[in-house]
Amino acid sequence: MKTTVAFMFGCRSVEHEVSIISAVQAMRSADREKYDIIPIYVTKNGEMYTSNKMLEIEPFRDMKALIADSEPVTMIKSGNDVVLHFLNQKLFKKKDDIVINVVFPVVHGTNCEDGTLQGYLDFLGLPYVGCDVLSSAVGMDKAVFKYVMQAAGLPVLPCICFYAREYAQDRDATIGRAEKEIGYPMIVKPVNLGSSVGISKAADRTALADAIDLAVSFSDKVLIEHAVTSIREINCSVVGDPDSCEASVCEEPFMNDEILSYEDKYLGGNKKSGGSKGMASLARKIPADISEEKSAEIRELAKKVFKALGGSGVVRIDFILDTDSDAVYVNEINTIPGSLSFYLWEATGLPYRELIDRLISLAFRRSRNRENLTFTIDTNILSGVSFGSKGAKGSKM
Amino acid sequence: MLILSLNIGLIAAILGLIRQYQMLQQNSYFGSRFLGWLKSDLTPLPYVIKGVLLALTVWAAVLGEKVLADSMIVFSAVALFFGWKGFAKNSSSIKKLVFTARIKRMLAFSIAVLVGIGVGCVLTNGTIKAVFLALFVLFTLCTELTCLISLYCLKPCEKLIARHYINDAKKKLSSVRGIKVIGITGSYGKTGTKYILSRILSEKYNVLHTPESFNTPMGVVRTIREKLRADHEIFVCEMGAKNIGDIKEICDIVHPDMGLITSVGPQHLDTFKSVDNVFKTKFELFDAVSAKDGTVFANGDNPLIRERADSTINLYGTDEEFATRAENISGSRGGATFDLVFGDERVKITTKLLGRHNVLNIVGAAGLAYRLGVPAKDIAFAVSRLAPTEHRLEMKTSVAGSLLIDDAYNANPEGCLEAVNVLKSFEGMTKVIITPGLVELGEKEYEYNKALGTAAAKVCDKIIFVGRQRSIPLADGVKETDFNTDNMYVAASFKEAMETYSGFADSNTVVLLENDLPDNYLK
Repeated sequence: MKTTVAFMFGCRSVEHEVSIISAVQAMRSADREKYDIIPIYVTKNGEMYTSNKMLEIEPFRDMKALIADSEPVTMIKSGNDVVLHFLNQKLFKKKDDIVINVVFPVVHGTNCEDGTLQGYLDFLGLPYVGCDVLSSAVGMDKAVFKYVMQAAGLPVLPCICFYAREYAQDRDATIGRAEKEIGYPMIVKPVNLGSSVGISKAADRTALADAIDLAVSFSDKVLIEHAVTSIREINCSVVGDPDSCEASVCEEPFMNDEILSYEDKYLGGNKKSGGSKGMASLARKIPADISEEKSAEIRELAKKVFKALGGSGVVRIDFILDTDSDAVYVNEINTIPGSLSFYLWEATGLPYRELIDRLISLAFRRSRNRENLTFTIDTNILSGVSFGSKGAKGSKM
Repeated sequence: MLILSLNIGLIAAILGLIRQYQMLQQNSYFGSRFLGWLKSDLTPLPYVIKGVLLALTVWAAVLGEKVLADSMIVFSAVALFFGWKGFAKNSSSIKKLVFTARIKRMLAFSIAVLVGIGVGCVLTNGTIKAVFLALFVLFTLCTELTCLISLYCLKPCEKLIARHYINDAKKKLSSVRGIKVIGITGSYGKTGTKYILSRILSEKYNVLHTPESFNTPMGVVRTIREKLRADHEIFVCEMGAKNIGDIKEICDIVHPDMGLITSVGPQHLDTFKSVDNVFKTKFELFDAVSAKDGTVFANGDNPLIRERADSTINLYGTDEEFATRAENISGSRGGATFDLVFGDERVKITTKLLGRHNVLNIVGAAGLAYRLGVPAKDIAFAVSRLAPTEHRLEMKTSVAGSLLIDDAYNANPEGCLEAVNVLKSFEGMTKVIITPGLVELGEKEYEYNKALGTAAAKVCDKIIFVGRQRSIPLADGVKETDFNTDNMYVAASFKEAMETYSGFADSNTVVLLENDLPDNYLK
């Protein structure tokens, strides 16, 4: 008997394809002796499909053929279990429901990584890998994330935040406010996207307007912060839960452009080598070329961020290192990082297969902790209520 | 006409059987217990009527099969009347018959037999026909008998089915890689300890434990078949026993890797006969674990265990000699604090659970969990989060703002004395006990109840016993002390006891509700 793990990926997100790459990597690395792996691919339309072909990357190149060859499914609660139910039932060849023990979401971006999928799984009552609803949601909104970090006393760059409608109604006021409170050069970001989609830098008013226009096309809420001029980006991954967590070695992603664009992050560098390796093959330096002390400081900070957020599973936290002042700022968090940051953990001494084991056991641990909260309160309050003279057990007190 | 009578008879039998099967089911399919229930439920009139009818049947049969066949309609009509009454009783019961696979098999068997006899009635002639007719009357009128016949005829078949389930459970258990099975047994404390152990282990592992009262072989088998998952790392298996060999039977299914023996005491003496037999049975767990070179923890504070345990057993308790022990225990009405020592490591424990026996349960569970690698600080955290199990020294508020210690599920002599000790800790309050005493303790029952009466008299300000006959030994115990018997009340029922209690309870009163017996014991 093996633990049935459903890997969910795809979804209605701009990072749909990246998610497929990350998920296939993870499924290929999981220990088949321990786990029965069920791929659940969520289309851009939100439908769920499964097929054993999804364990490889090749079939995804012809999406139409793959879907035609896959089974539409859904997850439903059945007794105490949650099962994968096949939607197309043939009259004489009934496909049995499959009991799912744990879900492994490998999704990136809005409508999935932001707590949406997590809420769905909580609602079903399924254990799942990674951050819960609240930490996922906070982690997705770059502005709210900053506020939470600020409240926890952790260093973040100051920002202003506004809605697209506000901006459309009075562009000058917003730009004026940005110039007054932040000052050039600035970075403009949509608040709720994973990766670096829609982010651009502005050194003057024209560029700022363009940057905002780009950002509002991705999100209703936009954030502007000061661009550190002598910047190094340092990333660090954390694995665990708020009770106990550890930080990986640091990495420094190589920057082609002035900031890390979408192409850099997922597509850059790996076209020549042929394989779709996602984040792993992005030009980067691991471990980051920084002093021991700086590395220790960032790793310590990473754990504090993880705890303040109430994270779980594996996350990657991106820091900004101001090389002039040597100050470190918490920039953003990826609650489901591309390639699950496995390359950072392999560099730290934890093979991918073991990382997956650890993540799955963390999922069960959280589920146990939740159960433990109501360990003995299984009485039905109504059982003590009696409406007639024939009192229930509790009523004779 | 005969066929109509036979059909009515068949319907009558089915209706009547539903009631009989309901009671058989509630007596756990034990023929002897079912008979016991029949005896206790005996009202003479229906049996007199049935007797008369059977005599009439024989008489009619002697007169000739034709006479009997013609009078069948009368017998079937009476049978229908009884059948309908039984059926109505089942329908109005709180616990109705559950149509399990086993019940369906027995019902189908009974119907097949009756149809067979019915066919015999129609197809044969002469004396044979008379015999068939008489048998038909017997089985449709006395459904108790039909019920028992189907029970015993299907026994071999049920055994085969049980064997299949057991093998299936064994196979499933062995297919979970690396799972560790922990057996828990003991005359008392095993259920509480099971919950404590599971909670502590869940700090580190995915744990499955047998639910509430599933401590028989088939209960364990059902837990495995229905609840075991591939991701479970530990199976905590409670093992109950009423007879020699019961624990071994469960061990042969689950093959425990580790064991925990919470106590050996005078429980179920009406089946065990002697405490020595109880000891032997509990230590069947030790034998099974030793066969796998596993570790057994046992409560060293229990005199019987201490006396007879050999050095391969890890004793725990409060003695300094034990590697796993509690020190500096300080109990209060809010729970207890103590130092938990694991050889060289120690940790401060705070628990909301009341009573010294709970401290021991925690020490045993913690010792085993520590051995399985749960860190001491995590053990302390888990213990601090434990809440009392329902009706086991559970604190509640009661009438007029008084405190209620609900220990309704406690039914063992040592546990009752411990509960009285907990009551004693409520200094400065008016202390009251409500109890019907203890049952099923064999020949020592009088002695244990008298001791409970004496203990209660030493601690309580007021005493309310339940059941006039039942409470005589308790009252004898009270009379051994200088307790003012004006403060001792005897109530006929719990309801009456609570009414008496309400008469004097105030916010400075604490009442211990000890062993809430089902109504059928109260006389």
